[in-house]
Amino acid sequence: MKMKGYTGKILKVDLTTEKSHARPFDEKHARKYLGGQGFAVEIVYHGVPKGADPLGPQNVLAMAGGVFDGFPVGTGGKVAFAAKSPATNTLAESIMGGSIGPELRHAGYDALEIVGKAESPSYLYIENERIEVKDAADLWGKDTRQVPEMLKKRHGWDVKVACIGVAGEKLSKIASIDCDDRQAGRAGLGAVMGSKNLKAIVIRGTNDLVPAEPKKLLGIAFRYQKIYEAAPSFIEDTKYGTGEFLGWINKEKGVFPTRNFQESVFAEREKIDPYYWAPKYVTKNKACFACTKPCGKLFEVKSGKFAGVAIDGIEYETLYSLGGACGNSDVESVARANELCDLLGMDTISAGVTIGFAMELMQRGIITEKDVGFKLTWDNASDAVPRMVEMMGNRRGFGDVLADGVKVAAKKIGKGAERYAVHTKGLEPPAYDVRGMKGHGLAYMTSTRGACHLRAGFYAPELVGKFWKWEGIDRASTANKGFMVSQTENFMCVYDSVGLCKFSRGFYLIAKLPEVIEAITGLTFTEDELLKIGERIHNMKGAFNAREGVTRKDWLLPPRILQDPIPEGPSKGQKISVEEMNTMLDDYMKARGWTMDGVPTPEKLKELDID
Amino acid sequence: MVKMLVPYPENCTGCRFCEMACTIYHDGKINHADARLQVHRRGVKVDFPSVCTHCVSCGEDCCVLHCPVEAIKKKDGMVYVDQEECTACGECVEVCPFGVMRMEEKAFNCDLCGGSPTCVKFCPMKAIVYEEPKPEQYEKVKKLLAVEE
Repeated sequence: MKMKGYTGKILKVDLTTEKSHARPFDEKHARKYLGGQGFAVEIVYHGVPKGADPLGPQNVLAMAGGVFDGFPVGTGGKVAFAAKSPATNTLAESIMGGSIGPELRHAGYDALEIVGKAESPSYLYIENERIEVKDAADLWGKDTRQVPEMLKKRHGWDVKVACIGVAGEKLSKIASIDCDDRQAGRAGLGAVMGSKNLKAIVIRGTNDLVPAEPKKLLGIAFRYQKIYEAAPSFIEDTKYGTGEFLGWINKEKGVFPTRNFQESVFAEREKIDPYYWAPKYVTKNKACFACTKPCGKLFEVKSGKFAGVAIDGIEYETLYSLGGACGNSDVESVARANELCDLLGMDTISAGVTIGFAMELMQRGIITEKDVGFKLTWDNASDAVPRMVEMMGNRRGFGDVLADGVKVAAKKIGKGAERYAVHTKGLEPPAYDVRGMKGHGLAYMTSTRGACHLRAGFYAPELVGKFWKWEGIDRASTANKGFMVSQTENFMCVYDSVGLCKFSRGFYLIAKLPEVIEAITGLTFTEDELLKIGERIHNMKGAFNAREGVTRKDWLLPPRILQDPIPEGPSKGQKISVEEMNTMLDDYMKARGWTMDGVPTPEKLKELDID
Repeated sequence: MVKMLVPYPENCTGCRFCEMACTIYHDGKINHADARLQVHRRGVKVDFPSVCTHCVSCGEDCCVLHCPVEAIKKKDGMVYVDQEECTACGECVEVCPFGVMRMEEKAFNCDLCGGSPTCVKFCPMKAIVYEEPKPEQYEKVKKLLAVEE
């Protein structure tokens, strides 16, 4: 049987030779890796030679639309990018909701593999079979809104554009890729594009996408539409965006990292809580491609010193990173800093955490006003945070020290700064204080791309107390966390491969995915088969990382999490001790069938058919 | 009371689900160019749907009047293309003020799915509503379309 839904082709473009080639893949490949993250990880796993410089021409940038991309599945339009990360030296993926994934499939390709390095600033133009590497001299130095505008004027309003900002050009290890004001932010994949002299990927696709069972697919879509509309989270997300649970995380749970993880309750949290700001600043709802549960908000500042700011935001993670983590309670300043991150092409999480880190260093006298050029202090956050973002993106002054994230900054600064650098594997953590959520702390360590809330999504089971088949999950306990995290990691690999937004995982538990996949592709899967694919994808990332020498010794939690208990609030006194960390890691390795050093065994790889 | 598609640009999130639902319903496949309505995204601030108004908005019946072979007709207030007579010259596509007359081998347009429009069913934000025509909403879309050129 010929599989439907897929285009059946992967496009490889060599920027050095400007040659391209579309290779077909068969049903076996689809059954093994599904699509999206699975395809992207496979490309990087097999394409990047051992020891390759992440910012050298040998690195491979992969982009792949999920199985659902381009089809009417609510919230199912996500696209995966992957490469060897310059921030972590590991195989890192970053997923975004921009329309470039579905467009790639309409152009006739399920995945894109970009290798080599263009001689001079270039952009990649794909219009169905027409593939060109074009001159981007006039785009270099432009921001992530100017670039698509210029390219759309040139190639028509219908083209889709993914691009980098100045931060990516300047190889910032926290640089992001932007499409439709959405970002693949994490792990510095924007710098990989920059290192290839690739300013933008422009796609125009006009081919049909044909599902196996159109009527059935439309029926499923309608059923989920009704489920969404009746869900409380639909109403909350639509009104307040992803920040809707910021108050709860602060007041009820006390795990909102504040002032570089020195506190876990932000006393001024109401000022950045969307329940309070949304009515004033939100002028419109925004959605990713195919999203029928829109959490995007158009946030506009109409007056005052930040007048003119207009962003798709502010997301929960950014309210933390450029807000709480920097002690910044001025929501207009957070919005401006967010806008600058987007325009310059920097991950808001990494940028904010890095600034918060520098602010603590100034608090402790490790750096001074003379080093920075102005007061990078908690009481001056409103001015200082956007100012520092701008300097980082342009690598100006002290911004150059911070432009590659906390790990590199701590090393450059020295004087004991590393004690206050919060990261795992070189990636700055998202908005959960894992001292009060031990399993999520384990997930920060085991995440193949460094501290991440979405590789396992384990904040949800621990904060809510139940998930899937599990009840009574205690966030203060280490029991069974190794097994549970390994399972939820497999889950998440599946969601990223079908292209489904993780905010929908409560609606589409794994058992519900096979009917959707079948309606699109005609391929049948069981829940166990899907989880096996997830396990395969995670093991490939693990094997890649072990090959690059990134093993258990490099996974460990930073001193702040291991040594400083949470000082106050509902999670007061909690931390993760070294013993607890090691217990959880041991349990995890056993659950994975890996060595105690975090290396996938040859038997495991053989079992999963990974070569 | 005659009912038509009425666009509410202020509610549109730009998700384009309506376009996909439209083509899959009519053609069993997805191609945004064949959607009988079009969603436009212009930067971070502007998203809006453009729908076939069956020329109730201004009554000028552009496509009907401009068709050189009189293949476009009106019946019960609905514009439709006589597939036998259409020569695919593209004149109607050119003149449609909403950019929703589509062309494959022949011209075609919105048929309101026979009275239960699929796009309306799938729009979660009520950016397209099936109701009594509202000329002021059509004017909003015309203005937005004019800006992009």
